[in-house]
Amino acid sequence: MTSHTGFFQAAALAVGLGLLVGGCGASPSGAPPSAQALAGGPWDAVLTQARGTTVTWRMWRGDSAINAYVDTWVAPRVREQYGIEVQAVDGQGPELVNTFVTERDAQPGRAGTTSLVWINGETFAQLQQERLLGGPWANRLPNATFVDQASPIVNRDFERDPAGYESPWGMVQFALIYDPERTPTPPTSIAALTDWIRAHPGRFTHDQQFTGMTFLKSVMYGLAGGVQAFQGGFDEDRYRHGRDKLFAWLALIRPSLWREGRTYPPDVAAMHRLFANREIDFTMSNNQNEVVTKVRQGILPPRARALLLDEGTIANAHYLGIPVNAPNPAGAMVLANFLLSPEAQLEKQRGDVWGDGTVLDVARLPAPWPSQFTAVVQDSAAVPREALAAHARPEVDPRYHARLLEDWRRLTRSGIP
Amino acid sequence: MTRRHVPAIAAALLLSLPIVVGGAYSALAAVGVVGVGAAGFTTQHLSAVLTSANTWRGIVWTLGTAGVATIAASGAAFFVALRVRQSRTGRVLAVLPMAVPNVAAALAALLMLGQSGWLSRLTHKLGLTPTPADFPALVYDPAGVSLVMAFAWKEFPYLALTALAVLLTDTRELEEVARTLGATRRQAFWRVTWPRLWRGTSPAVLAAFAFLVGQYEMPALLAPSDPTALSLLTYERSIDPDLARRGEAYVLALLALAFCGLLVAAHAAWRDRAGAGVDW
Repeated sequence: MTSHTGFFQAAALAVGLGLLVGGCGASPSGAPPSAQALAGGPWDAVLTQARGTTVTWRMWRGDSAINAYVDTWVAPRVREQYGIEVQAVDGQGPELVNTFVTERDAQPGRAGTTSLVWINGETFAQLQQERLLGGPWANRLPNATFVDQASPIVNRDFERDPAGYESPWGMVQFALIYDPERTPTPPTSIAALTDWIRAHPGRFTHDQQFTGMTFLKSVMYGLAGGVQAFQGGFDEDRYRHGRDKLFAWLALIRPSLWREGRTYPPDVAAMHRLFANREIDFTMSNNQNEVVTKVRQGILPPRARALLLDEGTIANAHYLGIPVNAPNPAGAMVLANFLLSPEAQLEKQRGDVWGDGTVLDVARLPAPWPSQFTAVVQDSAAVPREALAAHARPEVDPRYHARLLEDWRRLTRSGIP
Repeated sequence: MTRRHVPAIAAALLLSLPIVVGGAYSALAAVGVVGVGAAGFTTQHLSAVLTSANTWRGIVWTLGTAGVATIAASGAAFFVALRVRQSRTGRVLAVLPMAVPNVAAALAALLMLGQSGWLSRLTHKLGLTPTPADFPALVYDPAGVSLVMAFAWKEFPYLALTALAVLLTDTRELEEVARTLGATRRQAFWRVTWPRLWRGTSPAVLAAFAFLVGQYEMPALLAPSDPTALSLLTYERSIDPDLARRGEAYVLALLALAFCGLLVAAHAAWRDRAGAGVDW
């Protein structure tokens, strides 16, 4: 037993050491000026401070089209124009909160690893809740002048005022994806979709993650009095009313879903695979233009098209934030400003690049930008801008999403009431 | 602890440090003292996880699929190792799947066994299924057929390699001695070969099982949404949109850790007892 006792003594020592290391981190160190402090000074000072630095940008790296835009279009230009190295690394929304809380627990008050993050909605709310974002700084960016502040999709992030703690980057809208050859007359309303699903057993489903829940949320809007019924913060009664209507609908269609609704594809990538292999007739995306880029990449069949329901689909903007412990807030601000420039926004909107909608008020841009934005070749597979705007519904308080996910997992997925 | 143990203990400590520190942090996070959404000591995460039927169904399903896969892989590995131990080519072929990453194995299973996969197209071509969609659901299926197959295929080479290492170290000589002393083939197998094989490979079998219990990538690609595999459930909780529920991920992680700890302890106890009389 001697060696066991020795092990436990050693283990206790290790835990003690761990706590000691954590405790030592609390001492103040040479932290860089905060984003808030930089926003109060002249822009030239930010540019000077940013030159020769590296910006570690934590973002979702799951789409090769987006990665190519960032790595081969943005990074070289930012290096050339501002002397900043852009280092894009993986780190998705919900995981960011875990990363930053761990950094704070391990080294409170010290500079962390990340200077810029790609966020929106619940992640923004959670980062704010945990006080992990620096700012305000976003409205100080020179290119912020042209942001479409009148758009309800841009000026509120899931009903929350960005308040200068995040800078808008792009805008997307949920769409169903179908193949006109397989489905020549696709359903265009919730009622028609219900009929279609019941007439075609096993050919429709949704995934278990954000995209699937966004689909269910837009059906909930449609069945329970429109998005207005859910606006103005989270309300338990209104949520329960909407949820009950949605779950009654799900109970109706469930036997006709793919695999009789007993299992659901893990994510949209699996949805796209099932759709391309003709196991299901609809896939979906949070970005109405994903169908265009995915057809180009050969992931979706060439005829695939986006489809909006009459009841409207959820549109949201995505943003860039600077963590409160960012090692390089100046570089992050310069990069965020570049990403908001007309040239970067125009390139990003091209169907063959990413197809991500601009957050700028195009009409207010100086010539020749407005005509260039209009001239961005409209792919035949893309939904016209007017149709998108007419069908766009804003996001509501993120707690609706959280509760819906929780209840869907409990009541529908596991089948244990 | 005697002086000569010090370097060994120090090395073991260094290696176990991440587990010790991670375990301590998880224990604190599981009761809401540290971590995301922590709001002071609470037993809420513990009770939420331990009283949820989903947790236990997920654990039973995870242990079941990992167990069946480990038994299948061990059986196949022993069988093949016994057959190919004299053949160099056979030995190389048996361990070849080791070179395939887990994700690639899972994707291969998806492409082969899915309802639109190669097998379903083949059975359709052969007239066995009216349409490819009539092929039985082996992917995302409640029984986890494709997952068990991918698990077993990935563990097989590792177990075969271990079995070959045992069989190629003196076993042949001992078998021959037993035969010379009058043992039948059957007796030589059950009294010499099998005890050596099992004793030599059991740590590897346990390691394979524990590894499969904690596997994430393969269930993420192949498992059904219900029951939810323990690793998927843990990840889901760790990124839950409700920050107040993320502490549950640590409870689930500790459950997995406790389970592996129990397994190692049980194995050590079994070896101590079994090894008391015999020492090769």
